[in-house]
Amino acid sequence: MIELYHVWKQYQKSSWALSDVTLTIPKGEFCFITGPSGSGKSTLLKTLYREIVPTEGQVIIGGRNILRIPDHRIHAIRRHMGIVFQDFRLMYHKRVFENVAIALRVLGASPKDLKRKVFIALRMVNLQSKIWEFPSELSYGEQQRVAIARAVVNNPRILLADEPTGNLDPALAHEIFTLFKEINTQGTTVVICTHDRELIRRFGGRVLALHEGKLHEKDAG
Amino acid sequence: MTLSKIRYFLREALHNLWQFKARHLFSLTIICLSFVTVGIGLSLSGNLRDRAKELSKNLTVVFYLRPDAAAAEREAVEARVRRSPLIGTVTAVSPDQALNRFRTNFPDLRDILQNLGTNPFPASVEASLKDGGVASEAVLGFIAEVRKSPGVEDVQFSREWADKVRALGRLIEAAGFFLGGILILASFFIISNVIKLNVLARRSEIEILRLVGATNAFIRVPFLIEGVMMGIAGSALSLLIVFALVKSFPLYLGGSLGALQELISFRYLRWTQVLGLLGGGGLVGFLGSLSSIARFLKI
Repeated sequence: MIELYHVWKQYQKSSWALSDVTLTIPKGEFCFITGPSGSGKSTLLKTLYREIVPTEGQVIIGGRNILRIPDHRIHAIRRHMGIVFQDFRLMYHKRVFENVAIALRVLGASPKDLKRKVFIALRMVNLQSKIWEFPSELSYGEQQRVAIARAVVNNPRILLADEPTGNLDPALAHEIFTLFKEINTQGTTVVICTHDRELIRRFGGRVLALHEGKLHEKDAG
Repeated sequence: MTLSKIRYFLREALHNLWQFKARHLFSLTIICLSFVTVGIGLSLSGNLRDRAKELSKNLTVVFYLRPDAAAAEREAVEARVRRSPLIGTVTAVSPDQALNRFRTNFPDLRDILQNLGTNPFPASVEASLKDGGVASEAVLGFIAEVRKSPGVEDVQFSREWADKVRALGRLIEAAGFFLGGILILASFFIISNVIKLNVLARRSEIEILRLVGATNAFIRVPFLIEGVMMGIAGSALSLLIVFALVKSFPLYLGGSLGALQELISFRYLRWTQVLGLLGGGGLVGFLGSLSSIARFLKI
């Protein structure tokens, strides 16, 4: 479960990126955060994996107030999350296998376990045949699928995606959202930041709209 | 730490070394030069210390007797020396024996002796010190006491020569450490900067590691291993160069030094010194890397 209580974030004195955001996302929910550019979508997402610390308020993930966790222990929270970005954030000098395996290596997985789980994750995103290729040899859609495989390889409780289809054409974007939906059916809470209304309408789910840092609940339709 | 993690760290460190090979090669050269300087200092000073030790083992005292000393006085000096518990062997050398010895040792100077017409060498009593000739206060006291004997004209004690050789050894060792120390300090800063560049070059990868839940140690260890590997590789290379110097010095330069070759020559480093240099290289690499990580890898 994700809980935010009266979260405020200020980057500059004149404006608030997040303004008194309070929300609860139950376990296993499929949820969109939407809004125009600069509305605070990414800021909200970053507070969930504590990439940024809010100016005020509390962020509780799985019953733990993540703002009270010391910096050197924050990895313990992130290990239960998978994060997908618009720019994929892959290691381009490493093969697809290593890009996915890194999420398991940090956990100290055994080589046998690691290979098995990487293969399962890549099979889920239908990239098992590209396991030994470098990301630069793949299409954008395939690169994003590698990033998704990396995000889900350790069976996270929460999957966060920041504009995951921003660089992809509509057909590929649909494919990626289908994947997210599949992941969600396995019990993972999925939170996606997007401004693509068409995809939101097509896939449904809870919609949290941000406008100038303020949150409004919306209907998917 | 699991074996798979150790393997991963080593692979990452090797991969980084290979990826940025130009800057690592530069750093390796500086480390190598630093340790070559220290190695040469240790090798030369080791040789001089060995020589000094050899000289100390054969420390001798020569009591030159007055030409006009009576036979009883000579015998008294010899007897006094023989009685001393500090003395090992005692040899009485007559003027004729001294002359013959000179002729044998310095055949080129025979003509000078012939021109003199007389034998210039006095009779003497040569005594070697016991137990490697430790030049203790007791020995010095004994020499001073015998010097006062009526038949004794002069005393020659070879300790001074051994002391000078030993002092020269210490000086060369200190110079090696001083110059090497400055270069090692330079190596430290170079390693630190190379690691800093590597950290900056791998910022995006570090970012990914943070996001997938890597601990600080998981991110830092490959950089530390990288520094240690550079340090050990540099010092190992320097040992090879010192080894080559030890081998080739007598062939190319040693002959031209004549009698000095005994003193100015390279000796193989002892195992403890070899391990010390390798360990030193690793330590410099580790500290250089650590200082860089502490400043530039804020996680």
